[in-house]
Parts: sequence; C-alpha cells; structure tokens
Amino acid sequence: MKSTFIVDLERASRTANIGIVLLCLASGVAGYLVSFYFHFLTVTFFLLVLLNAFWRHGQTSHALLANFGFLAQIRYLVESIGPEFRQYLFASDTEERPFNRVERAEVYRKAKGVDSSAAFGSLLDFDRREIKLRHSFYPVDKDQIEPFDVAVGESRNLETTYHIRRPIMISAMSYGALGENAVRALARGARLAGAVMNTGEGGTPKYHLMEGCDLIFQIGTAKFGVRTPEGHLDEDKLAAIAGQDEVKMIEIKLSQGAKPGKGGLLPKEKITPEIAELRGVPMDEDVISPAHHLECVDAESTVAFIGRVQRVGGLPTGIKFCLGRPDEFRALVQEMKRQDIVPDFITVDGAEGGTGAAPKSFMDDVGMPLFEALPLVHKALQESGLRDRLVLFASGKLINPGKQMTALSLGADAVYSARGFLLALGCIQALQCNRNTCPVGITTHQKKLQKGLDIEDKAQRVANYIEALHHDHVELLSAMGRSSSRWLSEENVYSPTRAPASPLSQEPS
Amino acid sequence: MRHPKLTRTAQGVAAMFLLIASVQKFIGDPGSIEIFSSLEMEPTGRYLIAVIELVAALLLLSPLAALGSLLVVGVMCGAIIAHVTQLGLVVNDDGGGLVGMLVVVLLCAGYVLISRRKELPLVGDTL
Repeated sequence: MKSTFIVDLERASRTANIGIVLLCLASGVAGYLVSFYFHFLTVTFFLLVLLNAFWRHGQTSHALLANFGFLAQIRYLVESIGPEFRQYLFASDTEERPFNRVERAEVYRKAKGVDSSAAFGSLLDFDRREIKLRHSFYPVDKDQIEPFDVAVGESRNLETTYHIRRPIMISAMSYGALGENAVRALARGARLAGAVMNTGEGGTPKYHLMEGCDLIFQIGTAKFGVRTPEGHLDEDKLAAIAGQDEVKMIEIKLSQGAKPGKGGLLPKEKITPEIAELRGVPMDEDVISPAHHLECVDAESTVAFIGRVQRVGGLPTGIKFCLGRPDEFRALVQEMKRQDIVPDFITVDGAEGGTGAAPKSFMDDVGMPLFEALPLVHKALQESGLRDRLVLFASGKLINPGKQMTALSLGADAVYSARGFLLALGCIQALQCNRNTCPVGITTHQKKLQKGLDIEDKAQRVANYIEALHHDHVELLSAMGRSSSRWLSEENVYSPTRAPASPLSQEPS
Repeated sequence: MRHPKLTRTAQGVAAMFLLIASVQKFIGDPGSIEIFSSLEMEPTGRYLIAVIELVAALLLLSPLAALGSLLVVGVMCGAIIAHVTQLGLVVNDDGGGLVGMLVVVLLCAGYVLISRRKELPLVGDTL
C-alpha cells in the first residue's frame, strides 16, 4: 500500500459544490428564523453559487473550473501570485533571470556607493560552464595602468574625432521606452561621470539633450527624428541634429540583440502626445519600426548608406547589429573594402540583450550570443585588415565588471550597458517595461509613478555605478597583468569545455 | 465592454439611487427606521447598510466600478430577501415604489457587473 496522502480533488470539489448550496439555504433559514443578519451570509453564498454555476456550465475556456468548480480557482489564485512569492521567498540568490539577486545586488551597491565586496566564497556554481578571466603571476601596479582613451573616427582624421574616456557607455534607450525622469537622471549621471550615452531611436533627443552629456545619436530603422514622410533619410534633419554640440557620434542601428531581424516596438500604452510629436507617429497604435532601413537591402547599399550618413553628419559614425550569419558579415566587410567606406565603430549586440518590448520568440530564440559573436566579428575584421580602422563596442547583459572585461578581452574596445543602468536607477526587475506600469517610475510615462524617481539622487547613483565599474576594471587589469584594456586578448579568458564550433574551444598555447 | 456609454449611464443611475438611500438611512428617515425595526436591525443594521451603500456608490463612480457593482448586487439581493420574506412588496403605502427602485438599481448594477466582469479582482480573468 502506498502511504502517500492524495487529495481526491473530484470528491472534494463535489462536496464543496453541494456544500455552498446547502450553506446558502441554511443561512437563508437562519436569517428567517433567528436574525436577519444571517442573510449577509445568504447573499454571499448565493453569489458564490451563481459564480460557481457559471464556471461549471457557462464557460469552456478553463477546463479545471468547468470540471471542479470554485475549488479549482484556488489554483489560479496561487498561480497568479506565484512570481512574487518565488522572487521574494523561494528563488535562490543565483537562479533568477534575466539577472539574479547576486548580480542585481552588486549593481545596487555600486550605485549607492556602498562597499560591494563579498565574504567566504563565491555564490556561483563553479561546476557549470562559466567563463573566467585569467590573472597573471605578475600583476601590474595600479599606478601603471594607462588612463582609458579610445579615439573614434581617428582613422579618417576627422576633426570631430571623439575620445571615449570611460570604458562603460549607456546603451540605447529612447525617450518613449523610458520616461522623462529616467532619461534625465541617466543623462545627468553620464555627465557627472564623463561617460557617453546613446539616445536610442526615439526621435529628436529632447530630454537627453537637457543635461549636457555627450551623446551618440541613434538612427533606428524607422529613422525617428531624421525621416522623410516615406521613411527615407532626411539629410537636413540629420545635419541639424549632428550639429548639436552634445551629439558626438552617430550610430546606425541595423538590428538589435533583443529582437534581431525585427524593428523596434513601442506599445501604444506608452505613447503620449509628446512622444507622438517627437517621433512623428499616431497615438492610437503600437509603433512598429520596419525590420530594416529602406536604403539597406544588400551589402552594397548598406555600405553606401553608411558612407552617406558619415558624409552628411560629419561625425564619427558606426553601425550596430546582432550577428546572425557570419558569412553575411564577412561579405559586408569585403564590400566595405571595395567601396573604401569603413564605419568608425561597430557595436556587436548579443542576443541576450534586453529591451522594453519584443515578441517573446525573438527575445528567446533569435541571434548569436555576445561571447560567440564578438570574437567572430573581431577576427573577420582582423583578417580583412580593417580592425585598425574602426573601434568595436560590445553590448548584451554586460552589467558587472567581470563580464565587461571578458568582452574587452574578446575584442571589444568599450562596452555598453542598458539594464545595468536601469538597475542603478532602482529597477527591481518587475518585468513590466512594456506596460507603462513600471512600479519604480523608469519605463513609464505616468506622472504619479515617475514621482518616485528623483533625478538628482538617481543621477548620482548612475555616476557612482560608472565610477565603481571603472575602479573594478583597473583592479582586474592589474591582476591580469595588462596596463591597458587594449592589450587584452582571448588569452586572458578561460573557458571550460565549450562546443567545438566555438572560437573559444581552443586553449591558448 | 461593448457599450461603454450605457455602462457608464447604468453606473451613474445606480450610484445616484444608492447615495439617496444611504443618506436617508444616515439621517434616520422614519421610513427607514420602520423597515429596520421590523427586521430587528435598528439601528446597527441601518448604519451598516448605509455605510455599505455609500462605499458601493463611490466604487461605482471609481475605476473599481466592477467591484462596486458586485457589492450593489449583493445588497439588493439582501433587500429583495427582506421584502419577500418579511416586509411585503408594498411598504408604507408607497404602492411598491421602493421595490421598484430596488429592481431598477439591481438591473443597473447587474448590467455593470456583466459588462465589466473581466475587471473584477482575482476572478476577472476567468469570466
């Protein structure tokens, strides 16, 4: 005999379903004979009986409710509060996604300027396949670490060559995806820390410009802010934006890690009259950017378009993409050589990149992860001889210094983070970016929710986060025996058994 | 919600009648006192129902109208029980006016409840 305790749901629910009818009748009788107050119960049970009857006989979309009645509703209730329960009570410190509690806590502590050292040992599971950094027997003294300086546009001898002084940049987040307080806090924080910030594809970057930080203007596939009514590039508008003092670089977004092969998406819940005006779009429907620039249909036209934006904008100009097919990228590189038009930077976005809103299948199942794609791009550029003519940026879930150093070792010259900065702003990973209901006022336009986001206070946290990351970069570089991140290479990365196809599968000799 | 205007009208009508009924009970209108005396609920029950009616009326005028309409349907069911089992359909020689009003409020609240059922907390998704 099995001694397992089994709840016979069918029997229990039959009893319960008859039980509420009997209770309704009983309280009716009591209300009549004893006290009218019993009818409070009569009415309550009566409504429950009605509801139960509907569940069991009036609907077909919920099988459990149809079969068992209101007892089965307990399952739906428990399930509906499950995510909060799991996050607060049951999820271990290292198992949440996209960022677990250990990762989030590190950002929070850096942003608040609190000591982020840990004790007694790592919480990570070392038996799993984790990439590690290789330290050296002979660390470099910290005072010998060179100041970070990456020049973008130098190879073309541009007057507008821009020097990046901080290895961490704020990745593309538009006004629209973020509310105005969040944008201003990020921009002010970037100015405080001397970092550069990407505007995202939100049209004229009104709020980004308010705080006077250095900006990378992003041209999305819909070209908000610089589009003709048909969706082509409006050169006059681009020249006007590029002429702003704060705008230092231009990034042409070809695709994005969170939804590769698909245009940006701004849900209609988040479109205010102002956003509609800044972008030039209607208010009552989701804004879906096209999947590609109308000008870019093959390698030849894409390279020509890069050249056109370089010429019109007069600024260091780069492209951003998530890698899908390496052969396509190699063809693009060949075309760059043929036309002698080379972007001043390339941003490789990993498929793990985040976003405010994207179809789930694209978020989960499309595109190459960063640590696979970045070395491929780096090597393809080296083989073609173009690597010295441009700068590589990496993005995709790079919120802590270790991951960022890994990216710098695998070929990147500087790194982008978006969600790291959202966490620094106080994001609690409520996963509601697409609903305009962000409880901490970051990805919402509701004034009452934005009230909690104090620009001055949060700007300081953004700056603290950048400073703390930079500090850790210096510590790690020192331990790795390199005086600058430009001397990092794949040899500085240890990767346990990886798939043979991976460029990391060979151990450095 | 298929008929937003009709639903909003129904909310307004029900809320208005409820506010009147609630105020009558609060100020101790002789008719109300008589009714609650014959139910042996005077004065506790009178105030209790007055509070519930006031809350329900305010909810009906708020974004939580679905919850308000559920509350109203409950109160009106209770009132119908009272009239059927103890008070009779004609009270204080009003020719059934009170019961008529009650039926109007019940119909309005019922309509609101049905058209806004998806907005009910906890169970709305299954309706």
